[in-house]
Amino acid sequence: MLIVALLLIPIAAAAASFLARGRALMERANLAASVATFSVAVALGGRVLASGAISLGNGFFFADSLSALVILLTAAVSLVCSTYSIGYLRDDQNSGALGNDEDGREPLRQLRMYYSLTPLFVFSMLFMAVANNLGVMWVAIEATTLASIFLVTFYGKVTSLEAAWKYAIIGGVGLSMALFGTLVAYYAGHSLAGSEALHGLNWSVLAEHAAQLDKTSMRLAFALILLGYGTKAGLAPMHTWKPDAYSEAPVPSAAILSSAMLNCALYGLIRFYILTSRSLGTEYPSRLLLLFGLLSMGISVPFVLVQKNYRRLLAYHTIDHAGIMVTALGLGGALGSLGLMLHMTFHTIAKSLLFLCAGNVQQHFRTDLFSGIKGSVLRAMPLTGVIFLMAMLAIIGMPPFSLFQSEFLIVRAAFDGGHALTGVLFVLFGTGVFAGALLHVGGMILGPAGDMPVAGPRPWRNGSLLVLAAALVVIGFWVPAPLLELIRGAAQVVSGQ
Amino acid sequence: MLMRPFLTMQLGDRIITLMAALVLVLQIAMVAQRWIVTHIRIFAAQSFFLAIIAATIAWLNHAPHIYVAAALTLVVKVVLVPLLFERLVDRMQIHKEIEPIVNVPLSVLIAGGLTLVGYVVAESFYRPEERGLGHNALAVAISLFLIGFFTIINRRKALTQVLALLSLENGLFLAAISLTYGMPLIVELGVFFDVLVAAMVLGILVYRIRESFESMDVSRLRRLRG
Amino acid sequence: MIERLIENVAQLILLLALAPLVTGVIRTLKARFQTRRGPGIFQPYRDLRKHFGKSMVIPETASWIFTATPWVVFFSTVIAGLMIPMVAADAPLGLFGGALAVIFLLGLGRFFLALGGLDSGSSFGGLGSSREMTISALAEPAMMLAIFTVAIGAGSTGLTEIAGAAIGQTWRFLAPAQMLAFAALALVLIAETGRIPVDNPATHLELTMIHEAMILEYSGPYLALIEWAASIKQLVLMTLLINCFWPIGLQPAWFGFGALKGIAWLLPKLFLLVCAIVLLETVNAKMRLFRVPELLAVAFTLGALALVSTFLF
Repeated sequence: MLIVALLLIPIAAAAASFLARGRALMERANLAASVATFSVAVALGGRVLASGAISLGNGFFFADSLSALVILLTAAVSLVCSTYSIGYLRDDQNSGALGNDEDGREPLRQLRMYYSLTPLFVFSMLFMAVANNLGVMWVAIEATTLASIFLVTFYGKVTSLEAAWKYAIIGGVGLSMALFGTLVAYYAGHSLAGSEALHGLNWSVLAEHAAQLDKTSMRLAFALILLGYGTKAGLAPMHTWKPDAYSEAPVPSAAILSSAMLNCALYGLIRFYILTSRSLGTEYPSRLLLLFGLLSMGISVPFVLVQKNYRRLLAYHTIDHAGIMVTALGLGGALGSLGLMLHMTFHTIAKSLLFLCAGNVQQHFRTDLFSGIKGSVLRAMPLTGVIFLMAMLAIIGMPPFSLFQSEFLIVRAAFDGGHALTGVLFVLFGTGVFAGALLHVGGMILGPAGDMPVAGPRPWRNGSLLVLAAALVVIGFWVPAPLLELIRGAAQVVSGQ
Repeated sequence: MLMRPFLTMQLGDRIITLMAALVLVLQIAMVAQRWIVTHIRIFAAQSFFLAIIAATIAWLNHAPHIYVAAALTLVVKVVLVPLLFERLVDRMQIHKEIEPIVNVPLSVLIAGGLTLVGYVVAESFYRPEERGLGHNALAVAISLFLIGFFTIINRRKALTQVLALLSLENGLFLAAISLTYGMPLIVELGVFFDVLVAAMVLGILVYRIRESFESMDVSRLRRLRG
Repeated sequence: MIERLIENVAQLILLLALAPLVTGVIRTLKARFQTRRGPGIFQPYRDLRKHFGKSMVIPETASWIFTATPWVVFFSTVIAGLMIPMVAADAPLGLFGGALAVIFLLGLGRFFLALGGLDSGSSFGGLGSSREMTISALAEPAMMLAIFTVAIGAGSTGLTEIAGAAIGQTWRFLAPAQMLAFAALALVLIAETGRIPVDNPATHLELTMIHEAMILEYSGPYLALIEWAASIKQLVLMTLLINCFWPIGLQPAWFGFGALKGIAWLLPKLFLLVCAIVLLETVNAKMRLFRVPELLAVAFTLGALALVSTFLF
């Protein structure tokens, strides 16, 4: 029941926004829907904690701790971004960034597109987390790509089109590989005695009988899935669409893309990892995962160091963190999985916070280059400046923030599990990214005072910022018990212990 | 389902092999093509033959849900998508392809090489005792996948890249029906829906690229770097 | 021995008589497709008679090659024609090498034709020769690969065996190797016989000519011989294509009613192929010379795939 509600609410919001006449109704519908979705997600998490995995519709829907965690994170991000986008889009409309009537693009049409596509986007991510059938999971993730393409072209600039094209084609090719992988996994399982057509692709069924899956096919399937869902997650070398898409999309969409959608792509990868590790053992999948994870971390270092554009900096940061999470998955074991889940949670909060701060800065200074920020952010927008700096410190792993704990856990898992080289490289790349990010962002925020006017009050945007920042700070010290339980449960699903 | 006596397994196998060879020939012809409209029509013909393969497999294996897949292929890939793209080409008034990155004779040879790779990969899927129907079809499917992938990299016009992506999906469809006699119906429905929406979305994108850049040449999309 | 001789003579007469008819039918059918009336299917015979009756003009700068070429071309083509199974699976002249000998003979003819074009000293002749050599350099490998494919299927390069292996198995045509080889050979047929889209046999513009440019300086009986040889080569290649892949109606031997039945089967099959060629010519335009390698690359790839696929199945 909860699951059905979870899925229907965003669709209702999308329909309402599509049919709405004025901006106010769209904003309210979106806000109400995201609040409702968040509540349902919390309730779902509670239910899963209380009574274990939920299965609905003859096994069509399936939610265990892993799904519940991903759903909770997605709903939280969409809630914060809904509140933020109200202020953000109002500012855009006032400043003419949404187009004038002479342009042929009425602002209302743009708003309608945003407010209809975003709930659909969220819907497909939620659907992916509750779908049991691997093929349906694929359909949902393809739907996220299709829904977000027009969000990337939102501002209609020439560069937006380029970004959307790269996103579409690279994402399309990647997902085709993932479909092929799904197909091969289906083939691997078709010899399971008594598996009907539909159930043959059900994750819960395959997971139970994983030991009987055909080994060679599972190898090929996992490699394809890693390439495919890895493209969607932005692992190197399939990451080239990320900086463009994240810098061209409107800020709330970029925030959702970088946290919630990344989580969903990783979710798909994790589900397959569980199948593969139960069928082939952990050695083969973890070798591949470590390779791609470390590669992603490594590739992001030079780009972070010489970056000129702060939104692209955040994008390369996301590539780095995707690499971290994939490395954690590859390390496996109890520690690695716990580190992965903790990192996923903390990263979601910190990354979306960072994007929202960047949005504030961009709207005030009207540029996304470091060199364009002549004045110091701290003096022009004190609240944003402080939170931006704090979030940046958090995300590069500075104690006492939460990400330090999760990264430390991962490094410990590396050394404990005998992957000493991995641990060393991890620390090395982490340091590189640390230096680069701090250098650029610190310079941007704490630079000499310029002549930029102080920003006016912005209730919606700053409110969302404050809430997230508070969550980030608090979570460094104290994770609420149910959330921690959920995280542990998810880690147990991954590691099988 | 009544099985008419003339459609034996052997004849069915031959029909499938024939169609698979035709599909392969069409894919290689697509690599050598210069006219975008012909590209679209070759894609439509290829999807048509795929629908026939699907229908034959459905008949011989008494699997009604593959009929649905065949019908969907017919409607979506043979009629709707080519119509959509031809109308797009009309509006944009661009008909010819510019020189691909690797010249045409070499890309045809590379396509041939990729077909061999496809055959070799497909060999590892079948054990001798399990020679199912459409043994060649899987090899052709993987070749379609690889050649489509190569064409996306090789070609510069946006619409051709989209068509290559769609032919890649064709290859996946063929792999699905020959390897596992199709995926569950709901998955097939979802995939077709995705293909249709993707075609529409990409079509709109191509149109807007043409409007902004005065050309569909994606090598001009170079402003975002670093 | 005597039977062999009779078979050879019979096939010779068939070749010489049928070739101009095929050319005539192609031209007339093409004209009809274009809603013209056309010259009539017996026009090539009248042309041959006219040419044989005229006197010749030989360029001053020509050497012995110029005078030798028509004879070499004619006889090599005719001998190649005697080696293919037209009416019966058993080819009358079974020279060592079979298919390879046929390819060699046709190649010999083409070589001398190119030399003759160069020898006349006119620039158009050189132009035609160089173009012809470019095309044949690409078409020959494709043809050989396709022929080897069918040869492997039959276990020998002898054309008798190749045609014989396919008799009685109507569905053999549907095997992927055969299909790909057929496609490759069909493309090569277009290139070798100089049809649109590779070359326009009816063009009057020297700069667009390939085959015509090489024979521009020939006149009188020499021209007649060369034109006849071109028609025979066309017939030979068409028959090869038909009978290697679709040998319905090929008789085991020449004698008895076999010969008549064989001819009765051959003519409709030839007509079908003629219709296909005419359709292709009408629907397409002549390709630019630099695009022809692309077409032939496709033929080569198909031939290579055909050859490899015989090992994979």
